[in-house]
Amino acid sequence: MSAGAAKLIALTAVWALLAAAPFWAPLVGGYTALGARVLVLALAAMSVNFLLGFAGVLSFGHAAYFGLGAYGAGFALKFLAPSTPLSLLCGTLLGGIAGALLGLLIVRRRGVYFAMVTIAFGQVLYYIAFQWSSLTGGDDGLRGFARQPLDLGFAKIDILGDETAFYYFVLLCFALVVAVMGFILRSPFGRAMIAIRENERRARFLGLAVERHIWIAFTLSCFFAGFAGALYALVNNFADPRGLHYSQSGDFVMMAVMGGMRNFWGPLLGAAVFVVVQDYLSSVTVNWMSFIGLLFVLVVLFFPRGLLGFIRRRAPA
Amino acid sequence: MSQAEAAFGAGGKKSPAPILKVDSVSKRFGSLVAVRDVSLAVDRGELRAIIGPNGAGKTTFFNLLSGFFPPTSGRIAFEGRDVTTISAHRRVRLGMARTFQITEIFPELSVQDNLRIGAEIAAGYALRAWINRAERTAVQRRVDELLDLAGLAAKAKRLVGELAHGDQRVVEIATALTLQPRLLLLDEPTAGMGDQETYAMTKLIRQLHRRGDLAIILIEHDMRVVFHLADMVSVLDQGKLLAEGAPAAIAANAAVQAAYLGEAA
Amino acid sequence: MTQLLLFNVTNGLIIGAFYVLMALGLSLILNLSNVINFAHGGFLVIGGYIAYSVTPYVGFWGALLVAPPLTALIGFVVERILIRPLYGRDPLYGLLLTFGLAFMIEDGTRFIWGAQGKPVSVPAVLAHPLSAQFFFLTGYRLFMVAAALAVVALLFALLRYTKLGVRIRAGTLDLETVSALGVNVQALRSLNFAAGVFLAGLSGVLAAGQLGLEPTMGTGLLMPSFVAIIVGGVGSLTGTLIGGLLIGVASGLTAVFLPAASEAVIYVLMALILLLRPRGLFGEEGMMT
Repeated sequence: MSAGAAKLIALTAVWALLAAAPFWAPLVGGYTALGARVLVLALAAMSVNFLLGFAGVLSFGHAAYFGLGAYGAGFALKFLAPSTPLSLLCGTLLGGIAGALLGLLIVRRRGVYFAMVTIAFGQVLYYIAFQWSSLTGGDDGLRGFARQPLDLGFAKIDILGDETAFYYFVLLCFALVVAVMGFILRSPFGRAMIAIRENERRARFLGLAVERHIWIAFTLSCFFAGFAGALYALVNNFADPRGLHYSQSGDFVMMAVMGGMRNFWGPLLGAAVFVVVQDYLSSVTVNWMSFIGLLFVLVVLFFPRGLLGFIRRRAPA
Repeated sequence: MSQAEAAFGAGGKKSPAPILKVDSVSKRFGSLVAVRDVSLAVDRGELRAIIGPNGAGKTTFFNLLSGFFPPTSGRIAFEGRDVTTISAHRRVRLGMARTFQITEIFPELSVQDNLRIGAEIAAGYALRAWINRAERTAVQRRVDELLDLAGLAAKAKRLVGELAHGDQRVVEIATALTLQPRLLLLDEPTAGMGDQETYAMTKLIRQLHRRGDLAIILIEHDMRVVFHLADMVSVLDQGKLLAEGAPAAIAANAAVQAAYLGEAA
Repeated sequence: MTQLLLFNVTNGLIIGAFYVLMALGLSLILNLSNVINFAHGGFLVIGGYIAYSVTPYVGFWGALLVAPPLTALIGFVVERILIRPLYGRDPLYGLLLTFGLAFMIEDGTRFIWGAQGKPVSVPAVLAHPLSAQFFFLTGYRLFMVAAALAVVALLFALLRYTKLGVRIRAGTLDLETVSALGVNVQALRSLNFAAGVFLAGLSGVLAAGQLGLEPTMGTGLLMPSFVAIIVGGVGSLTGTLIGGLLIGVASGLTAVFLPAASEAVIYVLMALILLLRPRGLFGEEGMMT
């Protein structure tokens, strides 16, 4: 079997599994809403990995743009108009534009320093969301909005009441954004990102404006994260400051690393495992934090290439 | 222009305007002066070797030329344009490419993709999410050309990180050539190579040189390579330009022998 | 008004002294191990709780002497077992590992000592205000600042005048060369890590007397310490010192005029510094990028 054919089969399997989730998830003790959460968090982890896995740039503050996306969607539904597409648009814009502006300050740094500055700026946004309670609801979060039925003109789809319909809506959104990401990564722009990951000095001395390139990649990934956040607000009909906190960023990075950050689909696997494990642990022990912490430590020490990297190494294609 | 150059001429070439003109540049790091008041002019199509003992400031000098960092004082002009404070990637876009003493490549990509990335950046496609078929074909043609020129066609699909050291150096040079530079800076192209690889590299460099318009400056320790290839030789010692001239004159220069050849012997 | 201003400047200096202690420890570890130690807040908490546990037996002064070295010992072991395998790998891994470690420490503290906050009493001699007019200047607050400054001075002296200190400083600039000179870099990193954790433990003891103890208290102090390092410039310990004091005072002063922004102001300061001096106040070309 050629590598191309194997890839095609794997890809078909992934989409088939995702499309059939509402049917098989309950059989293994899951539920549809959990599936939607996995998809949304996977999207956020993929947006982090868009930078980390392909440009080699670690943002440890992406939750901020994710969380802003959630607020953007919430504000739109609460104050603007009862429209689901509009809420997604507003969330994406809020996260993306904030990322573009802060990115101007962030991209001048590299390595650990870059990570540190992204954390710190992420916390700025967290504090704003936390403190500005008249607008954001502060610690209690933003409530009083709900996703709206989709009006296609000829038909209405009730994604609020019908969990399965909502899952497919999320899956569609996920597929769209993932397609955009994949398309960009296959383009000259994406190859130049990979060039930066592989060897920043060589990329620069091939005439690439490295800082500008990273800024654009960072901004794009913030738009993706904002979109994921907006979807997350629709999943929960709720947005809160913890969505912006750096510990949420840490979870995203962990999902990407655990799944395999050099692999486009790694974060999806990582998110699925992470969400399910966390869901399970928090239902059986109050000390679930210790176990999540331990999971971090073990993955770093023993599976640094993530699950997909591990499988791939075991069975070289 | 230094006295040495006035004395020796420019290796028989007659272009009136040098492609690179360096005007008394210095570089300090704290109290250390790595490059001290060096002036230099290189003609279009010239092959210039820079030699000197370890720590003479050769690589620092290259870093100044290529915009790795700015000089503490002095000016650098490329094709008549002052590039002293211009950023590294913009100098590259103007036509100055370079390689490094420690090979800088994209190790986890194939030879072909290394060249393709270079060709796409050179063509100005780096910010594009889409290129049409004609553009893609043009990039591929450029890549194939370079694969042939560098003798890498058979290894096009191999990962660069898995190639032999000598081949990696060749890939780096080929990648630098994607930009169709008019000045190529080679930092010890034969470093760490065996005799056979050195011979192949020397041949490649001469071939590039003979294509005409490309000026090459190379830092080199292997004197066989230097005397075989260079039109002109500049000698750096303790950050200063010690001598400059045709290879034969340099070999006969007593000061150079004292500072450098003596050390090597 | 003057009194209010003085109150808040003093407050800012005290908080700043804290940030400095925390940030210097972080900075030491970052410089030599290239690890952003997310568990640093956790080590602070460990220091505080150890002090809490030993105080009944050895009193406050004894705890002050015992807790930081014990915390440092834990740090030493952590470095040996968990951090050492990560050297030479992407800094991402150190970040993630210490991030997980912070979770474990916070949860472990809760498990051992309970989720309820613990009050820690300070010696009676330090508990009283110096005068009625300057009611906020309790002996303990002055003592905290004095202790922090003394330790910082000691640290800088050690770094400047001892062989170990000189090696640590040289390692910050160029670890390869230091290694080539025959210095045992592994041991240097272990000691340095322990020294950084010592400072966190000390901050924990001092903080316990002022704020009481809570399992989550480390997290709150961690972020400002990051900012202190960024403002001061990565790689420069002097920068970290100035950065910590600067953001402490800035936040204290802001508390006078716009209390809600007293936490946000340090980030505004950081943004300004990054805009004007991308490498931070004392960051230099060629240091860590």
